[in-house]
Amino acid sequence: MFSLFPVNDYALIAVILGMPLLGAFVNGIWGKRLGDAAVKLMALTAMAVSFLAALVAFVMLADAVGAEKNEHVKLTWMAWEWMHTSGGYGGSSIPIDVKFSIDALSGVMMLIITGVGFLIHLYASSYMEGDPGYARFFAYLNLFVFSMLVLVLADNLPLLFVGWEGVGLCSYLLIGFWYENAANAAAGKKAFIANRIGDFGLLCGMFLLAHYTDSLDWNGIAHGARNLILPGEAFRVYVWPLGNGQYTGLLHFLQPAHPLTVSAATAVGLALLLGCTGKSAQIPLYVWLPDAMAGPTPVSALIHAATMVTAGIYLICRLSFVFVLSPFVMMVIAIVGASTALLAATIAVVQNDIKKVLAYSTVSQLGFMFLGVGVGAFTAGFFHVFTHAFFKACLFLGAGSVIHAMHARIHDDVDAQDIRKMGGLRKWLPWTHITFAAATAAIIGLPFTSGFFSKDEILYRAFVDHTVSPVTAAHSFVPPGWIGPLLFWIAVLAATLTSFYMCRVYILTFWGDFKGWTVGRPSLLATQEAEHGGHDDHGHHHDDLTTPGYPPHESAWQMTVPLMVLGLFSLFAGFLNPGFHLLKPENKPMDHWLEPVFKEASEHAVLFGHGNDEAWAEHMEWPLAACGFLAFAIGSALAYYVYVRKNGEPTKRLAEAAPGLYQLVLDKWRVDELYDATVLAAVDSLADTSAVVDRTIVDGILARLTSMIVAASGTVLRALQTGVVQVYAATMVVGIAFIAWFFAAPHASYTLTDSGNDDYVVTAAPGVGYGYRWDSDGDGTPDKPSFGADSTLKLHLAPGKDVTVNLEVKNAFGLVKKAAIHVARPNAPVSQL
Amino acid sequence: MIPAESYVVLSALLFVIGGIGFLVRRNVLVTLMSIEIMLNAANLALVAFNRVRFDPSAGQAFQGPSHTGQLFAFFIIGAEAAEVAVGLAIVLSLYRLRQTVRSDEADLLRN
Repeated sequence: MFSLFPVNDYALIAVILGMPLLGAFVNGIWGKRLGDAAVKLMALTAMAVSFLAALVAFVMLADAVGAEKNEHVKLTWMAWEWMHTSGGYGGSSIPIDVKFSIDALSGVMMLIITGVGFLIHLYASSYMEGDPGYARFFAYLNLFVFSMLVLVLADNLPLLFVGWEGVGLCSYLLIGFWYENAANAAAGKKAFIANRIGDFGLLCGMFLLAHYTDSLDWNGIAHGARNLILPGEAFRVYVWPLGNGQYTGLLHFLQPAHPLTVSAATAVGLALLLGCTGKSAQIPLYVWLPDAMAGPTPVSALIHAATMVTAGIYLICRLSFVFVLSPFVMMVIAIVGASTALLAATIAVVQNDIKKVLAYSTVSQLGFMFLGVGVGAFTAGFFHVFTHAFFKACLFLGAGSVIHAMHARIHDDVDAQDIRKMGGLRKWLPWTHITFAAATAAIIGLPFTSGFFSKDEILYRAFVDHTVSPVTAAHSFVPPGWIGPLLFWIAVLAATLTSFYMCRVYILTFWGDFKGWTVGRPSLLATQEAEHGGHDDHGHHHDDLTTPGYPPHESAWQMTVPLMVLGLFSLFAGFLNPGFHLLKPENKPMDHWLEPVFKEASEHAVLFGHGNDEAWAEHMEWPLAACGFLAFAIGSALAYYVYVRKNGEPTKRLAEAAPGLYQLVLDKWRVDELYDATVLAAVDSLADTSAVVDRTIVDGILARLTSMIVAASGTVLRALQTGVVQVYAATMVVGIAFIAWFFAAPHASYTLTDSGNDDYVVTAAPGVGYGYRWDSDGDGTPDKPSFGADSTLKLHLAPGKDVTVNLEVKNAFGLVKKAAIHVARPNAPVSQL
Repeated sequence: MIPAESYVVLSALLFVIGGIGFLVRRNVLVTLMSIEIMLNAANLALVAFNRVRFDPSAGQAFQGPSHTGQLFAFFIIGAEAAEVAVGLAIVLSLYRLRQTVRSDEADLLRN
């Protein structure tokens, strides 16, 4: 195999990348004409081939890793040289190539993207059935997979950015897929703009990295990363005043007494972090993700849960060796992650839209991942990406199946997603129920499911790990000791809320009695409904609300099979990396597998708090794991008590007791309103000012005045256009006469040049048949009696003297023109300083 | 032999007659004829100058037979013929459009 695809020219990547692109191309261009069956075939084949190629590549990578003990093995493929850039600190030219590589980290991501992607494509082929935009949907979805693969397989930062923008674009297109509804289009725009803010940070980080590390590919950045923490002024970034400028005049009050500087590593880290918060929906840019649920449910599963939103964590893992150089940035990442996890979890508790709950749950879980990578436990964070991809995709697809069933009954987009209208669905949707239960068990951390292992590892690491700077200078930042326990308790609280709200969704959806009989249409009794059997009125979506509908029904096999596969992985994928130090590293395959990737990061920084005390860390393991278990137990038991035993009574009482707080949380803490009032209002007022300037100055003066001048001249000149050919001819005759007179008369024009050395030269202008007669002393008598061909006259003048020269020009018609030329020489300066 | 000046004076006279005719008459057919007269004035001048330039008896160096002026006149006659063909076609179209051949009534391009 390696003879066909050598490690350094691994062209199989072209197949992995090319198939989704081909699918997007074919379905995008010819999809309408091909028909739905062919579109489905193309999209699914593209994904299946891509997944198989990815599997082969992964196996070969494992093979190569086995041969090279503990080395960071990469399968690389150089498509073409793209461009070079300069501006690096060392002054050399920085190559930017279209080069892809598969290593342990991107290999796992690649498998998730193509594997989960294929399952979701399969699911969508049934879910989207009958939609007029069927071909468009699959074209976008395939294009998304291509972009995501470019993102993870890119071997340098600019190429990653190409994929980064590509997934952003596809996300925008798919959120606004049903663009006839203005709210969906607005959600798409919101996602795009929030991501744009993050992209600004990523670009800044990229520029700084190119400057300080003199490179943009992963190996080069790793090699030059030490530059970021070199001492010296050249390696510090001036935050205030910006770029060490000077504020003078009116702005002088902005000038600080001491400039505020940060190390290059911190600046790079914060800039990249902004990009990651945008893409991975963290505070402060998380607001777009809940709105992104406006897209079709398979999109929510693939893009806004399993793959794209983890790009930020992927980038942090990919550039782990840069992030660990700045303990401050690492601490910020951890704090951002923990606070996002808690904030999103509180909102998820009160939401009633099933997809909204899952969306906030995704934001919350992404917060856990940020917390994991933020404390330096990159493997733990990334492992949560891995397990989350399965259980969250399964949850979303299950929700899609539920919505599908509900929608067939209720025919209302909002009511079909409202968990208060559901209940008892396990009777009609057995497979959806069982897989949803499996995924819920994983996300709430039921022991020995995948989420249990990944989440507990993060919690444990949050308590015991923190990053310290590799340089031991006096000014280097050391995170305070209390930060670890604080993060831990925040995360435990968030985990408790997670198990509460996930059990709430599960119980309200699948247990109890179905509450949808009376929604939308007057109904017969439930028992009578059931007698009609499992038929539905799917094919003809009429809105005749007078006839009763049929009960909800299970989805087709294309939808249930992906659910089963994902459900199985949700339950058992955790055994790829069971936590606990009881096990030897060899028994933690994921840890072992990713070790070479994060080796540089762990070399750069000391990860353990408490003086690197391994024994203390091991000692803490069981108490911390017990806290994680308690979070699961308390949260789910509470949900059971509230929603099964008391049938939701306590929550109603609580909402009535504190209506203000309830409404505040239901309105998502009014963060959107806060942004509206601050950032958006500022931008709006700037836009209003610009509009006034545009209307008065640009439109009023520049455009309207100019056009008025043109129109006025046109009105005047138009009067001359009589349309009578004789008038034009007469005008022409007058013009010709004028030109004839001009050429017939001689012209005595001249130029006077001071050629230095007291000499002056008078040159008469030339003309056809001209003769010249000069009177150089100005006495009225010509020097020569006849006209000659000599058109120049040289004069010698002493300082202070002046003379008038007479010039006569005679042309071929014998007409003579005279000119008197006064030549004066100024006095010499008095002093010759 | 008639001196060259006579030809030039005749040519100038014809040209001025043609020009005045073009400027003052409003009938398009007459206008066309005036153009013909102007062109023929040019032809006459060309032929006359050619004759003067290459006449051995006029005391100039004879440089072999050259008929540039005459040839030029022939080309102008050809161009005239084409011009009249197009011009008459335009006059016909104008008549169909406006029921007139007066040039001051053919002012579609006015203002």
